[in-house]
This record gives sequence, C-alpha cells and structure tokens, in this order.
Amino acid sequence: MAKSNPPFMSGVPELLLLRLLNNREMYGYELVRAIKEVTGEAISLGEGVIYPVLHSLERNGSLIARRKPVGGRTRVYYSLTQQGRGRLQDLQEDWRRIQTGIETALENPGHA
Amino acid sequence: MREPDFNDLATRLVQSGIPRRHAHRTVDEIRDHYDDLVDAAIDAGVTSREARYQAARELGRIDDLVSEMSARRELKTWAFRYPRAAMVVYPLACLAVLPAAPVNAGIAHAPLLARWGASLLAAGLFTAGLLLVLQLSILFG
Repeated sequence: MAKSNPPFMSGVPELLLLRLLNNREMYGYELVRAIKEVTGEAISLGEGVIYPVLHSLERNGSLIARRKPVGGRTRVYYSLTQQGRGRLQDLQEDWRRIQTGIETALENPGHA
Repeated sequence: MREPDFNDLATRLVQSGIPRRHAHRTVDEIRDHYDDLVDAAIDAGVTSREARYQAARELGRIDDLVSEMSARRELKTWAFRYPRAAMVVYPLACLAVLPAAPVNAGIAHAPLLARWGASLLAAGLFTAGLLLVLQLSILFG
C-alpha cells in the first residue's frame, strides 16, 4: 500500500497481472514480487493497487480465484480464464500501439 | 509503525460498501501478505520485531487500501452502486413484505392457531348458548 504510481500507469497493473497469470496461477504476494522482478524493479505495485485490481478482474470474469492450503496457510490463487486471455490480447495490442506512437513522437519531436 | 489492525480494515471495507464476505476475504489475503513480508524479512536476517516493523511499513496505510477498494464501483454492493434506486426499492420491498409477514407467521404456527381458533369458537358458541337460554327463560318463563 505504500507504493504509488504516476497517472500514466493507468491500465498497466491490469496488463502486468494478466501477463504473469497467463503463465501459471499465482497469489498476491507472489505477484507483487514477480512484477518487481520482471520489470527490473522499474514498476512496483503496492498491495493497495494489486488486490483491488485482482478482485475487479475476477469480478469481470477475467480471473478465477481458488483457495489452496499451502504450508499451513490457505492462500488465494488466481488464474486466467478464456475471457482473461482475450482481455490480455486486447491490452497487449493497445499497449504496443501506444508504445509505437510515443516512440515515434519522441524520435520526431518536430511532428509531435 | 504498528502492526496493521486487520479487524479495523474489515470493518472499514464493509462500511465503504464492499460486501461482507468479500471484505473478509480481502483481509485474509492482506494478512497473509503481511505474514509473507515478515517471513521474508526474517529470512533476510533481521529480528522478529524489526521484521514486523518492516512488513507493516511495506504494507502501508490501511486508509490507502480502503480508498483504492472503495474507488472501484464494481466491487461494491448493489445498494452502494445505486444508492438512489436502493432508497426507493428497499422501502417498497419492506412495504410489500409487511402484509405478508402475518400470513407467513400464520403458516409457520398453523397448528397452534387452529387450536386457538377452535377454542375461541367453542367459547363463543357456549356463551351464545347460555345467552339464548337466558333470553328464552325471560320470554317464556
């Protein structure tokens, strides 16, 4: 909950979570650590962001959650649904389009 | 930083419109997350007390989680998402249910009510019979 992200990060947590969960099911703490790791610590999502996003994705059918006893604790594991895979595909395409647009604008500032 | 008050978190999530079951699940997840942070800090070689301090600092403020959760309309109960509709629908539903309440109670206590009704009928008939006898004795006595 301590972390904050710039305003342009809107939509990024959703994309990263879906991308990570596309590989295998994971729980909240594991996801926070994985995001730090895969982004080279450039992006760090706090608990204040990750759980509301996970729960929203579950609510809209992109994820399913299941409780799983692990080492004396009952963890909530999230995994991607078919709908979630479609959502990930859309977000990836959107992100690449934006990325290309911004790169073009940065390389040709006169035309931006 | 003190250890997070998870009971307070659950209460505040419910007060902000998150369904009770969902609020408790969120608290379980956050508590689990806190325990993982403590374990990781201990594994890194700090004392248990310092680990709890670090974990609480990393977890951050309960206020922030509550505001992030309550900012997401889709996570809230129907009544919090549509408060104006709820203000109309809930009283109407109560009014609709109100007349049915005695009927439901009557069905639930049907044998008792039948005995009570039969007793009243018998008492009424007995009283009417006595009054009739009295009336006849006055007329023909």
